[in-house]
Amino acid sequence: MAALCRVRHRWKRTNCIKLLTRNLTGTFDYDLVVIGGGSGGLACSKEAAQLGQKVAVLDYVEPSVKGTKWGIGGTCVNVGCIPKKLMHQAALLGTALKDAQKYGWQIPGPISHNWSTMAEAVQNHVRSLNWGHRVQLQDKEVKYLNIKGSLVDEHTVKGLTRTGKEIPGAVEHGITSDDIFWLKESPGKTLVVGASYVALECAGFLTGIGLDTTVMVRSIPLRGFDQQMAGLVTDYMEAYGTKFSWRSVPKSVDKLASGALQVTWTDKQTGKDQRDTFDSVLWAVGRAPETKTLSLEKVGVKLNEESGKILVAADESTSVPNIYAFGDIGEGRPELTPTAIKAGKLLARRLAGQTNELMNYDNVATTVFTPLEYGCVGLSEEEAESRHGKDSIEVYHAFYKPLEFTVAERDASQCYIKVVCKRGGDQRILGLHFTGPNAGEVTQGFAMGFQCGATLTHLMETVGIHPTCAEELTKVNVSKRSGLDATVTGC
Amino acid sequence: MQWVKICRQSLSSTVNTTLTVALSRHKFIRRSMASDAITRFDFLVIGGGSGGLAGARRAAELGATAAVVESHKLGGTCVNVGCVPKKVMWNAAVHAEYLHDHSDYGFDGGHVHFSWETIKTKRDAYVSRLNHIYRNNLDKAKIETIQGHARFIDGPDPTVEVNGKKYTAPHILIATGGFPSVLSDNDVPGASLGITSDGFFELESLPKRSVIVGAGYIAVEMAGILSTLGSKTSIICRQTGVRTNPGRHIPFMYPTNTVFRGVACTRGGHKKACLILFTFPLQVLRNFDTLISSNCTKELQNSGIELWKNTQVKLVSKTSNGLLEVTLVTKDPEKKNEEEKIGTIQEVDCLLWAIGREPNTAGLNLSQMGVDIDERGFIVVDEFQNTTRQGVYAVGDVCGKALLTPVAIAAGRKLAHRLFDGKEDAKVDFSNIPTVVFSHPPIGTVGLTEEEAIKNRGKENVKSYKTSFTPMYHAITTRKTQCIMKLVCVGKEEKVVGLHMQGIGCDEMLQGFAVAIKMGATKADFDKTIAIHPTSSEEFVTMR
Repeated sequence: MAALCRVRHRWKRTNCIKLLTRNLTGTFDYDLVVIGGGSGGLACSKEAAQLGQKVAVLDYVEPSVKGTKWGIGGTCVNVGCIPKKLMHQAALLGTALKDAQKYGWQIPGPISHNWSTMAEAVQNHVRSLNWGHRVQLQDKEVKYLNIKGSLVDEHTVKGLTRTGKEIPGAVEHGITSDDIFWLKESPGKTLVVGASYVALECAGFLTGIGLDTTVMVRSIPLRGFDQQMAGLVTDYMEAYGTKFSWRSVPKSVDKLASGALQVTWTDKQTGKDQRDTFDSVLWAVGRAPETKTLSLEKVGVKLNEESGKILVAADESTSVPNIYAFGDIGEGRPELTPTAIKAGKLLARRLAGQTNELMNYDNVATTVFTPLEYGCVGLSEEEAESRHGKDSIEVYHAFYKPLEFTVAERDASQCYIKVVCKRGGDQRILGLHFTGPNAGEVTQGFAMGFQCGATLTHLMETVGIHPTCAEELTKVNVSKRSGLDATVTGC
Repeated sequence: MQWVKICRQSLSSTVNTTLTVALSRHKFIRRSMASDAITRFDFLVIGGGSGGLAGARRAAELGATAAVVESHKLGGTCVNVGCVPKKVMWNAAVHAEYLHDHSDYGFDGGHVHFSWETIKTKRDAYVSRLNHIYRNNLDKAKIETIQGHARFIDGPDPTVEVNGKKYTAPHILIATGGFPSVLSDNDVPGASLGITSDGFFELESLPKRSVIVGAGYIAVEMAGILSTLGSKTSIICRQTGVRTNPGRHIPFMYPTNTVFRGVACTRGGHKKACLILFTFPLQVLRNFDTLISSNCTKELQNSGIELWKNTQVKLVSKTSNGLLEVTLVTKDPEKKNEEEKIGTIQEVDCLLWAIGREPNTAGLNLSQMGVDIDERGFIVVDEFQNTTRQGVYAVGDVCGKALLTPVAIAAGRKLAHRLFDGKEDAKVDFSNIPTVVFSHPPIGTVGLTEEEAIKNRGKENVKSYKTSFTPMYHAITTRKTQCIMKLVCVGKEEKVVGLHMQGIGCDEMLQGFAVAIKMGATKADFDKTIAIHPTSSEEFVTMR
């Protein structure tokens, strides 16, 4: 979430308002002002400073409805990737405890999980990252201002320390992913509303640390991802103990005298209402762009009216030439940390006249850190079909069993590989999908091969690494079209 | 039956080469028809391990009648005493590491106890399940399994005798693998009181005090497993000692003319047996990139493994309590005038020799057959797996290079395609073979080490990129391990010729990068790739 103005600014203090503006001689105090100290904004400002520019970063965290507040670093560091992966890691350790007993470890008594211990450790780590970011900014001589940026005109940014954000009068009983990582106490029995990757990841780690967790899905899980893979991810979660309430829409949430939340929802299949009580309700029904206080309309920065995101060109410029936007706030951009970082760095280099290189938003690999991780790069099977036609693609697939699952007697029905190729010729890879342990670590290298234009032959000509899960990708040889059994047998 | 099958095959074949092969086979079968005692196949494989089974199954798929001779259990080293049970034990050890971290992640558990017996039983059950699967796979493919020791016998055509019965085929594949080297009691008195990695898999309980002799990857893996599971472990490294067979531990092959730390590679990557004095720092895994060997040494020591450098075992004796006393001699070759130091390790219940592997060729009667072996006893093959005797081929560990399951499998399959599918050029490309050492944490490596790249291309043409960090997993644990990474690039275009790493997850990270490197990826290609956050592997695409 970063919007920037490439102008020279200066700021003066008027009560609680800080104003960055042009001084009387027409020169500016900053070459670049970055609004938003998240992954993209920080990467861009540090890069620009290194290239000799004078830079200021404005970052101010508006507390969530529940009052959760955090430091510099943006979504990724505070309420996204980092705490999410650590809690996912905790959940994996929960599974490891079960596996360990099959591996000969005798663990006496019941194992319980203490939310506070984990949350405190995670939060302390996040705080250390916040601090690290501040130190880095100082080292690189980027001015950090803990104020909320708002545009006055295309060359002036106003800083606010207090905003007029409306706190809804209605009592909100729910929390969001912004809050979950900062809870001091266990959320207890939780209803997660939504089936985005955020929803599934949260539900996954809550289940993994032993909490009764239900996911309420209105339509399909992991929209935009390959739907066969999405099905495997949720199948695994169901087997893992996460409950799913499919095709259901919440109707009301009432707080009972006991403090529990009574949720009423409609099952769209039967049309009937259902009811259950939860300790927490986590809303994960999408993320909204943080544009409200920027006063974008005042300076003429155009937004997509439906999504509320800023319209951006390939060079990240907005409808106002000296104002740029990238990261989650950019219309049509992937909401991913690494793309924001990379786009930010490239923008800084272009602004400093170092390069003309544009950010390439194709071939972006990603991993969903659900209990069974899912990594992918390129097109989903559906997308490949619609772009190239069913007859022009060949889909190779394999159901494999990770060696670590065998002794642990875990069901591997959802460990699956799918390589979508162009049919004929050298079978260029259009999309590559992998569910299994360590999917994130497995996928990165293949994403690189994909970036280099890998074909099926390239995969098959690479010697496997035995015994690993990743090697299964080099052994895939059964096409869906052949109808043959895709189960891997033996080495 | 044979006759009909071959005729049909030759008729249906449109490929000229297949036709000639089939016709010559046709002639051969007619000629030897007189002797009924000989059973005939199109393809006879000696050794039911990874390479042999893969070759036989692929040949059968391509229409050949095939048989596999196996004296022990199907699956070979990998399944029975190698990759598979090793990784199971490694997984058990990784759980021990997790157990240390559980409380940091909020799990409250009591005191845990490890039962070696449980994992041994389950591991054995899994391995025998695999043995059965392999047998079923052979049966399904209509490949005959012949149980027993194979021995070549004299005759105009290569023929094999197993339990008094004779078998022949126009194409015979030797895939007998290898076994761990042992020292005799003449070399080191009491040496036979020790075990090897084969014996490791027979241990019925966790040793209390382990001594591992060797500094190759097997030594590192065995020591890591034993130590992590709770055995007090020492590694005895001879270090600057003479190494006559550097190729034995080298999991990948080097291009012709590569100079390997003073050893000139001869034709096809076979290295001449030389006496080499290593002057590298005292470390394990000396054939790996120095970053890896130094880091692995550090990790071993950090995990509480005791490292005896410049040390050899002099004597092993059994004491009255049934335990071993290992007498060691330490001498730093740099300090010529210094006296040898004698040390002992007492109450040892596991002395494990991990000093290399040797080919399984005894009893095959190779010398009579005109199948050449090299100085180290490995079968000499060309790039197409041909031995020096026509119609006899060899794949896998018995050839002594790139002793890895997937390499043997690939070689077996390529050979089958060459022999029965008319693919004349089918052969394994030995460059850029990725390999993983299941140490704690695991090591991944592909391509050239920095030293090799410099020897190859000159220091001015080599640039390496390095990074080291604490993986995020450890952000909230008291126990820490490092992740180290290195890219070795050559030339102006910065082509990546080597990738080396050690850290949590490196075992699963390597494969995809190996694909890219094999495709000829440059540093710029790495830079162009978008990271996956948060992972350790993303560090490779964000290196500066």
